[in-house]
Amino acid sequence: MEERKSTIRKRGKIRIREDHISGYLFIAVAMVVFLVFTIYPLISAIITSFQNYKPFGSTWVQLDNYKTALSNKLFWKACRNTIIYTALTVPMSLVIAFVVALMILPFRRGSQSFFKSLYYIPAVASAVVTSMVWIWIYDSSDAGLFNQLLAFFHLPTQQWLTSSKTAMLSLVLMALLSGNGSSIIIYIAALMGIDNTYFEAAEVDGATFFQKVRYIVLPLCKPTTLFLFITGVINSFQVFINAYMMTGGGPDNNTTMIGLLIFNNAFKYGKYGLACAQAILLTILIAVMTAIQFKVAGSDVEY
Amino acid sequence: MKKLLALLLALTMVLSLGSMAFAAEGAEVISDVEDTITIMAPPIIGGYTDFLAEWIEDFNKMYPNLHIEVTATSWDDNVSRLNTLCLSGDAPDIANIECQTLGTYVDMGVAVDITQYMPEGRLEDYDESVLGYMTLDDTLYGLPLYVSIQAMGGNKAMLEAAGVDVDKVQTEGWTYDEFLEAIKNGTTDDTYGFVFANAGITTADFVHIFGSVAGLSNDFTADLKYAYTSENMLNLLNAIEEIISSGYMPNYGVEAGTRLVMLETGECMITGKAMPLFESNVNTNNAGIADGTAVEGSVEVEYVFLPCPMMEGVTETCYGMANAFLPLRNNNTTDEHLKNVMLFLDYICSGEPAAKTAGDCYLSAVCESGREAQASMTLDQSEGNAAAAAREVSLVVAPPSGVTGEQSGSANTIMDEVIVPKMQALIAGETTAQEMYDAICEAAFDAFGEDGCETGFIA
Repeated sequence: MEERKSTIRKRGKIRIREDHISGYLFIAVAMVVFLVFTIYPLISAIITSFQNYKPFGSTWVQLDNYKTALSNKLFWKACRNTIIYTALTVPMSLVIAFVVALMILPFRRGSQSFFKSLYYIPAVASAVVTSMVWIWIYDSSDAGLFNQLLAFFHLPTQQWLTSSKTAMLSLVLMALLSGNGSSIIIYIAALMGIDNTYFEAAEVDGATFFQKVRYIVLPLCKPTTLFLFITGVINSFQVFINAYMMTGGGPDNNTTMIGLLIFNNAFKYGKYGLACAQAILLTILIAVMTAIQFKVAGSDVEY
Repeated sequence: MKKLLALLLALTMVLSLGSMAFAAEGAEVISDVEDTITIMAPPIIGGYTDFLAEWIEDFNKMYPNLHIEVTATSWDDNVSRLNTLCLSGDAPDIANIECQTLGTYVDMGVAVDITQYMPEGRLEDYDESVLGYMTLDDTLYGLPLYVSIQAMGGNKAMLEAAGVDVDKVQTEGWTYDEFLEAIKNGTTDDTYGFVFANAGITTADFVHIFGSVAGLSNDFTADLKYAYTSENMLNLLNAIEEIISSGYMPNYGVEAGTRLVMLETGECMITGKAMPLFESNVNTNNAGIADGTAVEGSVEVEYVFLPCPMMEGVTETCYGMANAFLPLRNNNTTDEHLKNVMLFLDYICSGEPAAKTAGDCYLSAVCESGREAQASMTLDQSEGNAAAAAREVSLVVAPPSGVTGEQSGSANTIMDEVIVPKMQALIAGETTAQEMYDAICEAAFDAFGEDGCETGFIA
C-alpha cells in the first residue's frame, strides 16, 4: 500500500502524493481559467491604473488616475447612484424571490418547473433585448405601455426615463420585475432542503403559516439569503447594461452608475488608465461592503 | 564595335531610367509583396459592405497582391468595438469615424499622419476645407467620405398654413423670430410645431445642430477658445427653455426614430435633425400609404429641407459633420504596410466609391474625382430641396485648425458628462438655462482654464 502511494519529495518537507497529483490535475483547468481570466486581468488593471495607458507607449503617472477619479464629482455621483440602486433593488429582490419561491413550493413538480422556467426566462434573454422591451414600456409619449395604462385610468402620463424624479425608479422597477429568476430557483432548492419533521412538529404545536415561516423557514434559509444578498450587492455594484441601454446615465447623470462611468472612460474616451483606477476603487468598495456583510450577518451562518 | 557597345549601354541606361521614371510616376506600384489590409465598416449607406466588395474586386485588378479583409459592424457597436481593438493594439488598418471623435484616436496614439504615406499628388484631389475636419494640431489623420449637412426638415403644407414662405426660407434662410412665430402657429392640440431628436446620445446632435441658431458652429472658436461658455450658448439655452415651456416642443426626450414618424404622421410641423436624404424616406412612406406599408397613421407629406434659423447678430452657418476613414496603427503596422493601406483608403474615398457613398446620402462628393463621377448621377430630389441643400453646403464651417487631441477629448467629455445630461434636465423642466450654463462654465473652466474659454459674444 505504501509503495503504491509513492511520494514526491519537494524541498524536503512538502510531500505531494500521487493521488494529490490527480486532484491537482482535476482542478488544473479551472485554475488556469481563473488565473488567465480573473487574476491576470486584475493584476493588469492594477498596473494600468498607475499609467497613462496608450497601446504603443504607456507612461507611469503614479497616483494621478486615482486623484482624478476621486476629485471627479461625477464619480461620487455615480457612487451615490449605485448605492441607491443597490439599496432599493437587492433587499426588495430578495423579498420578491422568497415570496414567489414560497408560493411555487406547494405545487407539484411539473407545475414547479413551469413556474421556475417562466421566472427564469428574462435571465436567458439578452439584456439588450430586455432593455429594448422596457424602453417601449417606459416610452414617454402616449405610445408607451405604462403611459397607456395611466391614460386608461385618466392619470397624467409620465416621462419615465427622461425625468430625474422617475428615471432611477424606472430602472429599479425593471430590475425587480425581470431579474429574480436565479434567486427564485436557489430559494426553492433551499426550501426543499428543509426537513419535513420541523413542519410536522410545528403543526403538532399548532403553529400558524407565518410562525412556520418566521421560526423555521427564515432561520434555515439564512445561509441562502446571505449568499443571495452578498452576490446581489456585488452584481448590483457592477450594474451597467440597463443604464447604458435605457437612460445613457441621464437625465442629469442621475442614473449614471460606476459601471457605466468606467465603460465610458475606457471604451468611449480611451482613458483606460483612469477607467482601471475607477475599477480598482469599485473593487475595494465591493470588498469592504462584502466584509461588512459577512461580519454583520454571517456570524451565525455555517455553510 | 565600341560604338555599338556604347549605344547598347546608353540604350540600357535610358531604358532603366525610363522604367524607374514609370515606377515613380505610378507611385502606387510600391511593391508586389503580398499584404493584407483590414477595414472595419459600419453601414455608411444601405448595402455598403456589398458595394465595398465590388470596389475591392476592382481594386484588386490593379493591386492583386493586396488582400482586403472587411469587418462589418453596426452603428451601435462601431465605436466601442473600435476603441476596444485600438486599446488592445489590434486596431483594424482602416476604420470609419465621425470627425468629432478623431481626438480620441490621436490621444490614444493610434492615429497616423497620412501625409507621409499618401500616394504622391493624390491629396490635391480632396477639398482642402473638408480635410480640415480630419486635422488636429495641424496634422492630417484621415480622408473624408462626405460632409453631411444637418439642419431641419418640415411638412410643406403645414408650414405654409402657419404662414411660412417655404421657398424664401429655402433660398434665403430665416430669422429665429420668424421660426418662433412659425412653430407657435404650427402648434395645435395634436401637433407640435417643432420636434427634435434629443433623447440619449442624440442630445449632442441637438446641441451641435441647433447651436448654429445662436452662432455656435464648432466646439472651439477661430482663436481656439471653448465656445459653449459664450453668451451665444446662454442665448441658445434660453431659447430652448422658452420653446419647451411654451409647449411648441415636447418636454421629454424624443428618440431618433420617433421624430421622423411624427413628421410622417402629421404630429409635428418641423423636425430635426434632418438631412436632404429624408426626402427619399418621406416619399417612400407616402407611397406606402396606399399599399399599407407606411407608418401607421401616416398622412401625405411634402418634405422640405430647411435651414436652421439665425438669431440676431450671428453669422449664418450650417452644422456639417464629416464622415471619414482613418488609417490606424496596430501591432503589425510598418511603413510599407501603411503605404498599402493608404492606396486602398484613397481608392474608396475618391472616384466612383466616393460618388456612390455621398450620392446615396443626397450629398455632393468632397473630392474632385468624386464630383466628376457624380456628374452622370441624378437624384430624385425636388428643386427646392436641392437649392436648400446647395445653400447649406456653402454655409458649413470646418473646425478651426490647431485644436489639439487633448482639447478635442476634453470637449467631448464635457459634452457627454455635463451638456448632454443637463440638456436632458432642461428639456424635462428640471433645471434652468442659467443653471445649465453655469454648470458648463464650471466644467469648462476646470478643463481649459478661464482664458481658454470664450465668455463674450461670438458674432
